[in-house]
Amino acid sequence: MAEPVGEDRVVVVGAGISGLSAARALTAAGRSVVVLERAKGVGGRCATRRIEGGQPVDFGVTFLHGTDPDFLAALADVPGGALVDWPSQIRGSGRPCQPEAFSRPQRRVAFADGVAAFPRHLARGLDVRTERRVTGLEITGATITPAIDGAAPIVARTVILALAAEQSRALLAGVGARTPGLDTAAALLAMMPTRPCLTVIAAYPAGVPGPPFHLRYPEDSSILQVIAHDSSKRVNPAATVMVYQAHARWSREHLERPSAGASAAASAPWARALLDEAARLLGPWAGAPSSLQAHRWTHARADGGAGLNAPILLHFPGDPGPRLGLAGELFSPGGGVESAWMSGVRLARMILAEDKR
Amino acid sequence: MMIEEDSLSRLVTRDRDHECEGYGSSKVCVRVEGIAELPTRVGHFRIVAFWNNRDGKEHVAMIKGDVVGATDIPTRLHSECLTGDVMGSLRCDCRDQLLEGLKVIQSMDRGILLYMRQEGRGIGLINKIRAYSLQDLGLDTVEANLALGFRDDERDYAVAAHMLKSLDVGSIQLITNNPNKMKQLTQYGINVAGRIPHVIPPNEHNRFYLETKAKRSGHFLDPAGRPHLAEQSDEVVVEGMRAPSEPPDQG
Repeated sequence: MAEPVGEDRVVVVGAGISGLSAARALTAAGRSVVVLERAKGVGGRCATRRIEGGQPVDFGVTFLHGTDPDFLAALADVPGGALVDWPSQIRGSGRPCQPEAFSRPQRRVAFADGVAAFPRHLARGLDVRTERRVTGLEITGATITPAIDGAAPIVARTVILALAAEQSRALLAGVGARTPGLDTAAALLAMMPTRPCLTVIAAYPAGVPGPPFHLRYPEDSSILQVIAHDSSKRVNPAATVMVYQAHARWSREHLERPSAGASAAASAPWARALLDEAARLLGPWAGAPSSLQAHRWTHARADGGAGLNAPILLHFPGDPGPRLGLAGELFSPGGGVESAWMSGVRLARMILAEDKR
Repeated sequence: MMIEEDSLSRLVTRDRDHECEGYGSSKVCVRVEGIAELPTRVGHFRIVAFWNNRDGKEHVAMIKGDVVGATDIPTRLHSECLTGDVMGSLRCDCRDQLLEGLKVIQSMDRGILLYMRQEGRGIGLINKIRAYSLQDLGLDTVEANLALGFRDDERDYAVAAHMLKSLDVGSIQLITNNPNKMKQLTQYGINVAGRIPHVIPPNEHNRFYLETKAKRSGHFLDPAGRPHLAEQSDEVVVEGMRAPSEPPDQG
């Protein structure tokens, strides 16, 4: 049985930063909001896992940065130890994911509890339902209903897709009611494919000293884009932990190999190749971790700096008709976590402004 | 060699350490950084280059005559359009609008054309080309325009107002078909004494505007029948055309 429709209910698909910021803004305005998330936890690419001994490791977004006063206030709101100015020790002249992160007005922040402290804080008090994969969208009359794998569908008037471009596009493709706006949005999303990033987490035996930097962007590697000294974010870390993230092109080549998905990520040939490259750049110690984990980010980041300027809110026939919103880092200038957050807030404002009329 | 320091070239020295609160919600501040003579096909101008504190966009002003401290200066705002201004694209009228603006100013005793380096009103070149490509696919660009960002001119006006303040203008006569622009500049403390309509003479490329199908559902169509993107926040008026304030032909 479908849950009954709330006339003002909004369903948000995706509990990444943009989905959570939209949900928070709508909830704050008194709207009933349900957030559906495919994974076990919230945050999307603002991802932290714990290794032996409970030490947090950020294996997606390495640090947060921005200039918008509201975004910086949202970061300041996160309880626990914020590390203002991490990273301050940066090595290498390779290209950062977002070079503007290091320009003067930008503030940079990391969290001692891990970057996921931010989405966890955003999700507090929201109706977030994890392990709910949305498989389709059905539009009937004044409602739009996300179909959920293994759970009852939820009927709403407004649905927000806060997903990677490819994931949103796949859901848009399955909507039966075609409108010019829908086709345009699908065509726009097709122009902006996201980039993959293969990632390795390496923990080193006691006695291995951490390298003398927070972040390194190697200028002489076609494999590694970012070397993060993750344990330098932690208070009294038990182990030196490094996170190695590969260039998009290298990641794509390795993801497309037939064997890429066959085995556990940590034993995949690409994980070893990343470690070998780390050893070449940092020294032999880096190639011999005591424990190793790996993660395939198929949708790691939007194409840098070429996103749209605003979220999209699509309208379907009816009075009032169903609405489908699109949010995410693509839908705000600049890209990155700040853009994702801003796009969610802006989409929520667009929805609220329409409903006030 | 005679070096003559007139009122305009003194602005560079004056602005050397200029840093103010900034204009508008984006708190944008500009500085005069360079001034030079610029003979053009249209006539002789001086060009003033500005630095701003928000982005790497180097806005410029084309100046005719003595403007510092002057009143009722004919002034035109133009948004950069690489495809139109430089390449001569017929998907928009930007080049005609720019050249006509320069010509009008050249025909006066004094005048200013602010050339705002905000490609397609801040949309950026990449997104503009994407919007064109959506049109090529035959898609409706209304939603795309919203997402691509053809809306928010706030920063443009703040920059323009500060540029005019930096040029020490007393008051301006705004060359525009969009009276809303006057209000926007007035909000930032510019004395807008009046409006001069911006009317482009007909030529082989814009003659279609004069035909009955020139306007459909509020959009101007290009020679291929595609609606124009709103690259200038100013409606095109070709000599002999109805004034833009009149309702579109319902017939």
